[in-house]
Amino acid sequence: MQTATREIAVSMTGISKRFGPVRALENANLEIARGSILGLVGQNGAGKSTIIKVLAGIIKPDSGTIVINGEVITSLTPASVEKLGVHFIHQDRLLVPTATVGEAVFLGHEIGLGPFVSRRAMERRAADLLKRFFGMELPPGTLVKDLTTAQQKVVQITRALAQKASVLVLDEPTAALVKREVDSLFDVLRRLRDDGIAVVFISHYMQEIEKLCDRVTVMRNGTDVGTVDPRQTPIDEIIAMMIARDVGEMFPKRSVTLGAPVLEVSNLRLGGSFENIGFNVRAGEIVGLTGLLGSGAKEIVQCLFGLKTADGGQVKVEGRELSLSTPVKAVRDGIAMLPEDRRAHGVALGLSVRENISLASLRRYSRSGMVSRGAENQAVDGLIKELSIKTPHRDALVRELSGGNQQKVAIAKWLSCQSRVYVLDEPTVAVDVGAKVEIYNLLNRLAGEGAAILLLSSDLLELVGVCDRVLVVYRGRLASSFSGPAMNSDALLAASSGARSNTDGVAA
Amino acid sequence: MSVSANDNSAKVSVRGFLAKYSVLIAFAVIVILFAVASPTFLTPANLFNVLVNNVVMLAIVALGLTIVISSGGIDLSVGVSVDMASMIFVMLLAAGYGGVVGVAGGLGAALIVGILNAILITRLNISPFLATLGVLFIGQSTQQLATSGGQPIYLTSGYAADQFNAIARTALFGIPTPVLVLIVLVIAVHVLLHRSVFGRYVQAMGAQPGVAWYSGIRVPRELSMVHVLCALLAGVTGILLSSTVKSYVPLSGNAFLLDAIGATFIGTTLSRERKPSVIGTLLGVLLLAIVKNGLLLVGWNFYWQQVGIGVLVFLVLAASFGLRRAAH
Repeated sequence: MQTATREIAVSMTGISKRFGPVRALENANLEIARGSILGLVGQNGAGKSTIIKVLAGIIKPDSGTIVINGEVITSLTPASVEKLGVHFIHQDRLLVPTATVGEAVFLGHEIGLGPFVSRRAMERRAADLLKRFFGMELPPGTLVKDLTTAQQKVVQITRALAQKASVLVLDEPTAALVKREVDSLFDVLRRLRDDGIAVVFISHYMQEIEKLCDRVTVMRNGTDVGTVDPRQTPIDEIIAMMIARDVGEMFPKRSVTLGAPVLEVSNLRLGGSFENIGFNVRAGEIVGLTGLLGSGAKEIVQCLFGLKTADGGQVKVEGRELSLSTPVKAVRDGIAMLPEDRRAHGVALGLSVRENISLASLRRYSRSGMVSRGAENQAVDGLIKELSIKTPHRDALVRELSGGNQQKVAIAKWLSCQSRVYVLDEPTVAVDVGAKVEIYNLLNRLAGEGAAILLLSSDLLELVGVCDRVLVVYRGRLASSFSGPAMNSDALLAASSGARSNTDGVAA
Repeated sequence: MSVSANDNSAKVSVRGFLAKYSVLIAFAVIVILFAVASPTFLTPANLFNVLVNNVVMLAIVALGLTIVISSGGIDLSVGVSVDMASMIFVMLLAAGYGGVVGVAGGLGAALIVGILNAILITRLNISPFLATLGVLFIGQSTQQLATSGGQPIYLTSGYAADQFNAIARTALFGIPTPVLVLIVLVIAVHVLLHRSVFGRYVQAMGAQPGVAWYSGIRVPRELSMVHVLCALLAGVTGILLSSTVKSYVPLSGNAFLLDAIGATFIGTTLSRERKPSVIGTLLGVLLLAIVKNGLLLVGWNFYWQQVGIGVLVFLVLAASFGLRRAAH
């Protein structure tokens, strides 16, 4: 081991951070060495992104020490950390879409004289840098929005390099890239490492970690559980380190007898996203759907609610074939959708709890177009009580509620509709643990009442804990289906990253 | 600290009272100021004049804009709807048609403006601002083309004048017909916006369009209805306007646009929930109308009136904000 000779660029020790009752980080450590590529892996919610946000100065830790370039740092801000040479390539592109490549690369560090910006110089310098580091040539003045996702990533990295980055943190940089682009990105990162830059690489793809990283730090439950050399440690062992096995009580058990198929999907396809998708969800069944970003799992769910129109295939609810072209029709046909982006699509923050809950079912509480407040209030009060939504009163704005309670309002909206099929897209993201358990209980109850539930989630523990069956989508196809004892997070993780497949059960 | 707690809570409740009634207090102050400055201001004859000439027509246009702004949109073409209704109404009467045909034709013209807006916004996905701005330009040119470069049409005597008088100069139980029309429309729009399923959908689209769409609401259809209703209400104002002045003057409808938008936003700002509401809009219209009339009576000329209105609107809003902040 050459650890002793390596120079430490960033050292974070004993970092703890709580959000209300939730422990996001508990005594977590992270050490980033110059001239090496460090992988950072862990389940969703393990604390990866929290510790990175602490380093980025976005989140203030409750306790812990951060040393950057041998200097103890007492307070970090996003601006000061960049001055220290630590740069972040975040998962969602953070570039101004209408800027030119030159403007994007030198944003905040414009080249020019006094208040005058020399656009030509910036375009030229940016072009030089892109060519030198990536061998990439773009027409001068190209706009960011006209670039591919991979090119945008490259521009972001170039921006960091232009500012003499000594530490580069990349959060899921390959999620939206194709193989060839991934390879050239890896070449760039290796070259940067050889130039002495410290690289942190966050990824869900185990093969990428194995191929690229010199060391990998595994996080679980808000702390680092170990740092190993991925070339000498089998992937299975790393996965085992990632998965906590003591969460049984989080997932309430249930016993149901499954009924007839309620949702039947066959041969569904959408160009560029997925093809040949077929599965059933029976009454009382909770079926999980998972896949990495870009696998097509998300698009399948969007097609089922009419948000995207499938190019072909059949969707039946209780034997009746649906034409899913808009959410209007999907709702009419008894499909309820809990969208991932709660604030944009799930609940209207500026409306009251009452107005949100009754929104999809107003016709039930109205006569000749007029809302009957009495009937509405009665139904809403019933649901507030039933789901134990913590709100001062039914007319409080949803904005005032916690994330978990907002999500319960979004679910209550569909309960008052009496839908037959519930499609849930990442229902427990940004929801605290207590509310998670309540949402799981709610899913169980809905299933118990004969609803068919399709749960799209990237939280593998959640899928294993809640679902009767989990379908894994890999590169636009149903790669595997797991149920019973074969359904565990190791297998799901392996299947969604393409390491293993298990096609025998897909047709179930 | 604990000693002064009682004292504080008393202060808070006084402030709370001020905040709650800040709008009414501001109104009262303005009315008193004008009453002192001009002896004619508080006379029944003047107040009646303000109501019929300054409030009714503006309020009806503002009601339509309240619906549109509630839905998260805007309609810059309300003036065109006013003018089109007015133009067709007057032209039909000039051609010898009866009042009923004239009114129907006028409202039909406004309806066409509304449908055009709806198509541009919901079918072609043009933003409401740009779509209605385009319709505003087209509508203005259309009027000039139809009236040989903007010649007014006066029908001050004879058959047509009788039809106008039947609308503008009649009264029921001593209430002038235009005021009755306003009362009916205020109640109707209030019920529609704050009590009906449609109104709830409008509010949801305004609060978060994505949520409305994901809740299975037929957003394009409801949004079309919003724009058609707004244009029709503006059309009613067009009919009342022509009947009052017994003429059609091209491009006169635009005078309502900014006042109506202003009244709606004043109402929004003053309301506790910061949402457009029929009551809030009415308060906004009253404020603008009273200030205009008051400044006129005090003897300010037209140009200074505009300055005065601007300053007074700022003062009322600032006072309301200040009191509200003090209450927290």
